[in-house]
Amino acid sequence: MDDRYDLVGFFLSKDGVLRSGIMGALEGTPLEDSAGALSFGVATFALVNVVFLMLFFSQFAILWIERKAVARMQDRYGATTALRSLWVGENGVTAGEWWNMLPFGLGKPLGAVNKWLNAKFGNRDENFATVDRVNNRSWMGKTILPGFFQNVADGMKFLVKEHMVPQRADRLIFEVSPFLIVSSTLLILGMIPLSSGIYATNPDLSILYAIAIFGIAPIGVFFAGWSSNNKYTLIGGIRSAAQLTAYEIPLLLTLLSVAILSGTFNIVESIHFQHSAGAWNIFLMPLGAALFLVTMIAEVERVPFDMPEAEAELVEGWWTEYGGMRFGMLFMAEYIRTYAACFLFTHFFLGGWHLPFHGTIGSLPVVGEAYLLIPGAIMTLVKSWLVFLIVFVWARFALARIRTDQILEFGWRMLLPLAVLQVVLALVYRLYLFNPDGMSAQNDVAGGMAWNAFGIPYLVPILTTLFWLGVFWVYLNDEDKSAMSERMFHVHTVEPAGTVVPGQE
Amino acid sequence: MKTMPMHPHAQPNFRNLFWYPFKITLITALRTFPFIGKRFGKKLGAYHNTTHPEFLDDGSRARAASSAEMNDISRQEFAPDRVTSDLKPTLWKPQTVQYPYERLEDMEPWLFVPGNYNGRIGVIWETCTACKMCVNICPNDCLHMTTELRVDVLDNAQGDNAGFGAELEVGKYAAVEVPEVLETLDTFNHVTAHTAPPEEWRFAEVLDLSGDAATVRWNDSGEEAIVATSDLYPADDQIVSGRIDLGRCMFCGLCMEACGFTSFFMTNEYDGMSGFTRQDLWFDASRTRVLPGVHQEAVDAELAKRASKERDKRAKKAAKAAAEATKGDA
Repeated sequence: MDDRYDLVGFFLSKDGVLRSGIMGALEGTPLEDSAGALSFGVATFALVNVVFLMLFFSQFAILWIERKAVARMQDRYGATTALRSLWVGENGVTAGEWWNMLPFGLGKPLGAVNKWLNAKFGNRDENFATVDRVNNRSWMGKTILPGFFQNVADGMKFLVKEHMVPQRADRLIFEVSPFLIVSSTLLILGMIPLSSGIYATNPDLSILYAIAIFGIAPIGVFFAGWSSNNKYTLIGGIRSAAQLTAYEIPLLLTLLSVAILSGTFNIVESIHFQHSAGAWNIFLMPLGAALFLVTMIAEVERVPFDMPEAEAELVEGWWTEYGGMRFGMLFMAEYIRTYAACFLFTHFFLGGWHLPFHGTIGSLPVVGEAYLLIPGAIMTLVKSWLVFLIVFVWARFALARIRTDQILEFGWRMLLPLAVLQVVLALVYRLYLFNPDGMSAQNDVAGGMAWNAFGIPYLVPILTTLFWLGVFWVYLNDEDKSAMSERMFHVHTVEPAGTVVPGQE
Repeated sequence: MKTMPMHPHAQPNFRNLFWYPFKITLITALRTFPFIGKRFGKKLGAYHNTTHPEFLDDGSRARAASSAEMNDISRQEFAPDRVTSDLKPTLWKPQTVQYPYERLEDMEPWLFVPGNYNGRIGVIWETCTACKMCVNICPNDCLHMTTELRVDVLDNAQGDNAGFGAELEVGKYAAVEVPEVLETLDTFNHVTAHTAPPEEWRFAEVLDLSGDAATVRWNDSGEEAIVATSDLYPADDQIVSGRIDLGRCMFCGLCMEACGFTSFFMTNEYDGMSGFTRQDLWFDASRTRVLPGVHQEAVDAELAKRASKERDKRAKKAAKAAAEATKGDA
């Protein structure tokens, strides 16, 4: 079902305010003949910017989610920087008088306002010198979402830092690789829809495009690792390249099975398919969802697959030598990739912008209408944030970093066969279990019944989900001790220290 | 293939490698939410409100038992150990103590700062004899002994011990009490003030003594005035005083151990020792001073000691004079 908030239509349709206004303004001028093309260009530019800004600024939320989740795990508040800290400073010196750093004295009026604010609403406590002294800085519990703007502060810090290139580095490659990584990362955002009506562009083969563009950054990573001329960065870059094939192939196969099941290579259409067929993909291919998440965690180099930037051993891994805003941009790029991974999971497996029980709740008299008013973009964002919190952040707490040989073994001996199995399953589902007659019309709120079996509605997703939950349960309770030596993850020391005396065995 | 013996709980299976870490971290995060932590506290890993096996001796166990009521989360408003006035205690469980608004001692009185904690240095200057043992033993050389203008304890003693102090003399110093400062001194708090306590004496140089009145020149204003001698206490500018460079102090407490007169203490106050400059960490006598309200007994004992010494001295002197008088008679 299409989302009712149609930003694309608003900007791009010829009857829309923007385009008709432009065309009206151009009437009677020499540009009249090309008014349609001109207005389309302007409208596209505006649309792309709006969508990109929505995606980009909503990214602050996941940084904040991660900070706060980490803080909760460690039983503390976490960062508490607030916008208020820009004007409440220490002992009358407000946040280092940052406005004086703006060119041409542009910040002078700002400084005056800040001083006035500080004098008027500062944290003065005349009664206790100590309290007064502590008060004179930022937070004091007087903000909502404490720490939300920490990233802005970090960004400003990165911006004013010096850009340094190591003397023996390969300067050209060193300078190029961050741009390779960051630009390819931003291109991912270009084709991620927030809803059926809010996207920058929607190419027919957007799934292929997403994967192709995801695969560019590792080249930049390797470039960066090599060109820094530093053993840590080189090891990081090589690790990144080494684990690339181990997870990229299962990832591609998983997406192939998504494409097979939905019968399309287009993200928006695959979401439409999930609604029209009546079940989100996660219930039809839980295995694929798990594979996708595992490979995506590896793809964005987060714990437990973050050997390329293993802090404990490699300083900062392949980006050790980058400082200032180069570091900031690489950091941002990594989070954008993570965010994009959350969006893709939402779209491929969680029904994109569709509300849970869209048809059932939506058909209720009054509640249903209110329910359907929730914007699809909001739903997409909430789902993506939850995916980030529940999968990416939780995995980061829970799991320890695994070794290179372990991820290679894991990727080749476990993920790859399972991904092939998932492709086969997707083929079987699509060819033999899918009932095309049950597909609903695209804008039918109720959704379709294409996964019924033996006349029982939703039997296929229900049985599939139960089956994989059962597998999970078996694994949880598995105590197969005899199979221990066969298990992966497990590394036996062939000759443990103290068991062998050299020359005497 | 020989394999290392392995702990039975350390089997590298799916459950131990994947599921348990997720479960443990989930529980750790969940129980920090007040409602969940309170309701399922014991199920979620017995985080709050449990007995402490590390209390091995009877005394500790008894103390823990006596405060068990305070630890009982079912009696607390929120599950977390500390209650704060946050807007959303459910969402923002505060483990952070919002010092200095909140102090750990106030929130968890059972977790008091131990008495043997080496905190800020406190000196009962009234009983200091300037033996310099503390200065000599200080490994970091942070103690410095000086003299300053003060009123000796003996000079303003009351009751039995009165009358053994020095006399007012022209050319020497004298002081009058400042009653409004004396009042505030009882409630003065070193911990929150971050300054020296206000001076309860107003010092002056004695210019002339005539009967019940004395002409003095105030040290603070330089003006001359006539004051009744009954209000004046003799003061001395050679009374022992000292400065401590807290920036060098490592709080080893050797000075306290070296002091033979129990004038030197390490208090258990952990704050009031900061400043914006290094000079702020030079604590002069007034900032290390233990205020009378705290140490009155020690001062009284010292006073009695010195008074009796003085009394003996005078008695001996009188006896000697009497003996000489009798000898002269004979």
